Amino acid sequence: VRWQLSPPQRPLQASAVLRRVSDEQKKEPLASSSQHQFDSQPADHQHDQEPQDPHSSYTGQDGQESEDYESEEQLQQRILTAALEFVPEHGWTAEAIAEGAKTLGLSVAAAGMFQSDGSQLILHFVSQCNTKLSELLEQEQKRVQLGEAEKKPTDQFLRDAVEARLRMVIPYIEKWPQAVSILLLPHNIPSSLSLLTSMIDDIWHYAGDQSTDINWYTRRAVLTGIYNTTELVMMQDSSPDFEDTWRFLENRVADAMKMGDTANQVQSTGEALVQGLMGAAVTVSNAETSRAER
Amino acid sequence: SPAAGAPLRLCSAGLAPRGVNKAVVGRILRVDHAGEFGANRIYAGQMAVLGRSSVGPVIQQMWNQEKDHLKKFNELMVAYRVRPTILLPFWNVAGFVLGAGSALLGKKGAMACTVAVEESISDHYNSQIRTLVEEDPEKYKELLQIIKQFRDDEREHHDTGIEHDAEA
Repeated sequence: VRWQLSPPQRPLQASAVLRRVSDEQKKEPLASSSQHQFDSQPADHQHDQEPQDPHSSYTGQDGQESEDYESEEQLQQRILTAALEFVPEHGWTAEAIAEGAKTLGLSVAAAGMFQSDGSQLILHFVSQCNTKLSELLEQEQKRVQLGEAEKKPTDQFLRDAVEARLRMVIPYIEKWPQAVSILLLPHNIPSSLSLLTSMIDDIWHYAGDQSTDINWYTRRAVLTGIYNTTELVMMQDSSPDFEDTWRFLENRVADAMKMGDTANQVQSTGEALVQGLMGAAVTVSNAETSRAER
Repeated sequence: SPAAGAPLRLCSAGLAPRGVNKAVVGRILRVDHAGEFGANRIYAGQMAVLGRSSVGPVIQQMWNQEKDHLKKFNELMVAYRVRPTILLPFWNVAGFVLGAGSALLGKKGAMACTVAVEESISDHYNSQIRTLVEEDPEKYKELLQIIKQFRDDEREHHDTGIEHDAEA
């Protein structure tokens, strides 16, 4: 069922498919609904930054895992992905995970593998969305390189990227405030911050940022601010298709662009001012000298 | 190899070639980039004071090479997607002050500064070369080549400094 919905598999996957089929024969027939909500596979773990091969979830990230053995981590990824379908109803909770495990033919006790506050489910979701975003940006870049699409100006690129990423949250928007507050718990901050910073870095990278000075930091800090504030606005937005949110986003990005110009202007003015003062100092000192000589 | 003028991009998704130890390479490039940036500022400081003196051309030439080094590291930073050090504004000022300060002590002072700095830079590059060779000389071939070349350049600067220090 799932395989039919994905693009054609590579030969490596053949043994994985066979194993899957034998798994299916052992377990109850899987519910298909939980699987085709997401086109992308269970997302990458936070630690490893390699782009997730969309088809490799059953053979491990570099195809080297033995194909008849699914690691605990892979199993957890599958359960969490399956659990997402139940989040709108149950929230980011052990109940959702239990329901997800059920759809995979596992016992609800499988939910015991995870932390009870739902952190892992949320982090899994965030990581999955980030991977999807990277893939989107990568594809767009390829299209531009092949001449199939126009290169967007920076402000539009940033707007579109942030919008695309935030839209992934829409199906879960009711429960998203809960997720954000859990992500802000001290024990989750390292992970959630790391996911956030790598996502922002990704966006800037594809936007063509090549700065290697302090701008590297200011740009990322500014975009992080834009992303977070827009996310907050979105959670309180009840306009059709969140159009208020996208307008807010547009304004924030425009402000950021203007800030760059202002900084340059301030610097030029500063330099001109210094030169003026130096000139005045030299003139005064010359005047003093010539008066002293008279 | 990349087309002329096109930025060096090693791989899509902005990641270095698979298998490269991102942490090791990141640390190495960040430090080297900061170092070359600092060296640039040191020579700039020296030129500000001694630019019109007899050692001016010598310092200028060494400075030009450092500019090339910095340019190379800028490219590598982008290709490997390495975060630059946040201390750059500090190195900006500190480097210039060190260069100008040592130059105010005279040509000998400037050359002594150059000798000391280049000595420690080449030691530093040497230990990086050792690290990379221990990791995997094949995987890091390109990087090793660059660092070796730069290490040789820095040794040359060191020797130039000795030469002029001895003469002055």
